[in-house]
Amino acid sequence: MEYLGQYKAVYKAKAGCEDILSKAQDGGIVTAMFAYALETGIIDGAIVAGPGEEAYKPEPMIATTVDELLAARGTKYSISPNMALIKEATRSYGLDKIGIVGTPCQIQAVRKAQLYPIGMRDVPDKIALALGIFCMENFPYQGLYQMVEDHCATKIDNVTKMDIGKGKFSVYTERGVNAQIPLKVTHKYEQPGCHVCLDYVANLADISTGSVGTPDGWSTVFVRSAAGEAAFNKAVDAGWIIAESMDGVKPGLELVTKLATEKITKNQKYIEHRAHAEHEALKPLRNPYI
Amino acid sequence: MSKVVEISPTTRHEGHSKLVLKVNDEGIIERGDWLSITPVRGVEKLAIGKTYEQVPKIASRVCGICPIAHTLAATEAMEASMGVEIPDDAYLLRIILQCANRLHSHALHDILALPDMYLPGTDSKINPFSPEEPVRSVAKRIQTLRMIGQTIGEIAGGEAVHPSNPRVGGMYKNITPRARTKIYDLAKQALPLAREQMEFMIAVFENYAKRDWAEMCGREVAIPKDLGFHQQGYMATDPCYGSSSLDEHPTWDPARWLEVRPWDWYMGEEEITLEDPAYPVGGTTKAGGKAWPQMQACTGVPLYDGQPVEVGPRARLAMYRNYDRKGAIGLNIAREMEYMDSVYKMIEAADALNTSGSVVADVIPQGDGTIGWAANEAPRGADVHLAKVRNGKVEWFSMLVPTTWNFPTCSRALTGAPWELAEVIVRAYDPCVSCATHMIVLDEDNRLVAQKLLE
Ligand SMILES: Cc1cc2nc3c(=O)[nH]c(=O)nc-3n(C[C@H](O)[C@H](O)[C@H](O)COP(=O)(O)OP(=O)(O)OC[C@H]3O[C@@H](n4cnc5c(N)ncnc54)[C@H](O)[C@@H]3O)c2cc1C
Ligand code: SF4
Repeated sequence: MEYLGQYKAVYKAKAGCEDILSKAQDGGIVTAMFAYALETGIIDGAIVAGPGEEAYKPEPMIATTVDELLAARGTKYSISPNMALIKEATRSYGLDKIGIVGTPCQIQAVRKAQLYPIGMRDVPDKIALALGIFCMENFPYQGLYQMVEDHCATKIDNVTKMDIGKGKFSVYTERGVNAQIPLKVTHKYEQPGCHVCLDYVANLADISTGSVGTPDGWSTVFVRSAAGEAAFNKAVDAGWIIAESMDGVKPGLELVTKLATEKITKNQKYIEHRAHAEHEALKPLRNPYI
Repeated sequence: MSKVVEISPTTRHEGHSKLVLKVNDEGIIERGDWLSITPVRGVEKLAIGKTYEQVPKIASRVCGICPIAHTLAATEAMEASMGVEIPDDAYLLRIILQCANRLHSHALHDILALPDMYLPGTDSKINPFSPEEPVRSVAKRIQTLRMIGQTIGEIAGGEAVHPSNPRVGGMYKNITPRARTKIYDLAKQALPLAREQMEFMIAVFENYAKRDWAEMCGREVAIPKDLGFHQQGYMATDPCYGSSSLDEHPTWDPARWLEVRPWDWYMGEEEITLEDPAYPVGGTTKAGGKAWPQMQACTGVPLYDGQPVEVGPRARLAMYRNYDRKGAIGLNIAREMEYMDSVYKMIEAADALNTSGSVVADVIPQGDGTIGWAANEAPRGADVHLAKVRNGKVEWFSMLVPTTWNFPTCSRALTGAPWELAEVIVRAYDPCVSCATHMIVLDEDNRLVAQKLLE
């Protein structure tokens, strides 16, 4: 439990709507939740990772329509600084109830801005729905590009989906070509900052979701806060989301817990390593957690 | 025999200042000096060599009540020097920002001015923090007006305190249709509140004008009918926004401006011979101390046509609306009369705004050292910035801010008032002393050099 954060309930779930599912990464939970929240006024806009100028280079954007949400579906395994828009959303965009999706570190940033708003005037009370996505690690765009173009021998513009699972990085194209490389090949491209990250399943989100634990086309969903619970239950009642019990689902929470434990233990070790002078810098390196 | 009394520091206004007052046997001011004792931060000097983009952002930090004025005046002084014409929609966003700031600033000043005043028909002074009616509702209304001003400023200007959206060449961002709707709704909400607030405040000030005395230091002090009258002129550049050297018909003329040292204008060294420990709260400066306004004043003294002038709400109304009420109460009432315009103007500008229009000039020349100036009608009056930009760098920068203009004028307006009411006169100017404090530049002959730069 401690590796998965606090939660009120956990489900195997997916979007109730085929349109959303068609290009969603997994169960389309993020897109369906935001679409429902937009339609019902729980939020008046959502910060998502929109399509950027180059293929799979995400660009944070504020979606205020379902069409814009649909355009942002799918995982881009590269850094999308969604928090960069958090203040602007309350300014020139004029939003009052903001939705935001992000990796665990981005959700931490949201919560920190709410509690310690440094240069973040009017942000704390305007966060209405923070959706977290599970995250093992991320890649700078150059790294991702090399993984796809060189290691997978695929032109990145042709890619329709990327996916990390079962120890492999997979790339799909429209022609059905499917290149796979073992994850160990990708390690050197990881963003170094990810190696001190102690959160796998977005512990601080209102609702967190990811692919691990449930079958293809479905998502694992943790409902965490009261606001998350209210929104999620209503979305289920309204048919935007189909939620089923996690009982008996394979590989289920066991695998989620295993991966979370691995991530946290490994990174915790690295943090301790940095604190000692045997680090190659030969002096203790800063620890943001103390 | 005249005596000298000193009130230091003065309160319920922005910044740090004091009053050195020469009074007669009846305690009536014969000659008063009101001066800034805020440390000089030297923004104009440190601006030299910096880029035209950063200087307006630094100038903004001169003051947190009217940062809009400094941001816009500095940005537009750069634009004037560089010859940049900004797009209409950027200008409209700046107007919305300007009006939003005026709304909040005037409302804030109501809080500062009210404790001097009486609830009409009673002998009880108004404590804006009192939980009792009718004061409670007034305080709430003021806070709502300020919230609206700050929120609208934030939407149009990026930030309510130190606006981030203005940039040389226009604005960084236009706003969304939703944001514009929000501005409308908030402004509509402000309209009836602003009207009620204006009417309430005018009634309170009129009541003070009719009173014979005010309680001060535990005694009844007679209120003269000509409280705060002066013979200086007015200077204003626009009823709402401002003017710049890019205008076809600029409404400010640098050739009429001259700056002298406090040395030429303020009193010399004086010994304090009168003290009153009952002056709220904490008494006046102890007798025996020395005051030297000439040396202690931290501002230059700008003159227009060779005289100190008054700037601010009354100057605007006097020049553009034939307003003629004099004195401290006349000035306070003029300020209240600006409430409605600031709300209507932002509604008009929001109406005219095209939310998909471009807000940055296509071409931004980098400057050839030409002098440019821009005047912004800040809540407290004309805020004139002058700049020379060459190859993207600021070569020279000067800020003539409203309270700097008002310092010597208000000092003259003190004559004839009982010293206990001097602060009431000062507060009528809604002083912003941080704003006023800046560097004065002398050449070898102790002459101001700013004037020469214009030639
Ligand atoms: C870097 C990264 C690593 C991940 N690692 C894991 C993992 O180890 N295990 C696991 O189970 N799940 C992982 N995920 C989550 C998973 O890939 C899906 O994003 C998640 O299951 C949501 O799918 P969905 O069908 O509900 O979302 P969709 O409806 O497809 O919507 C996805 C949402 O995520 C946003 N998004 C896409 N890329 C990014 C990004 N880089 N940064 C921020 N937001 C983004 C999109 O804007 C969109 O709103 C990872 C995601 C990312 C971005
Ligand atoms: S591993 Fe941690 S730090 Fe890296 S992107 Fe994921 S959540 Fe952020």
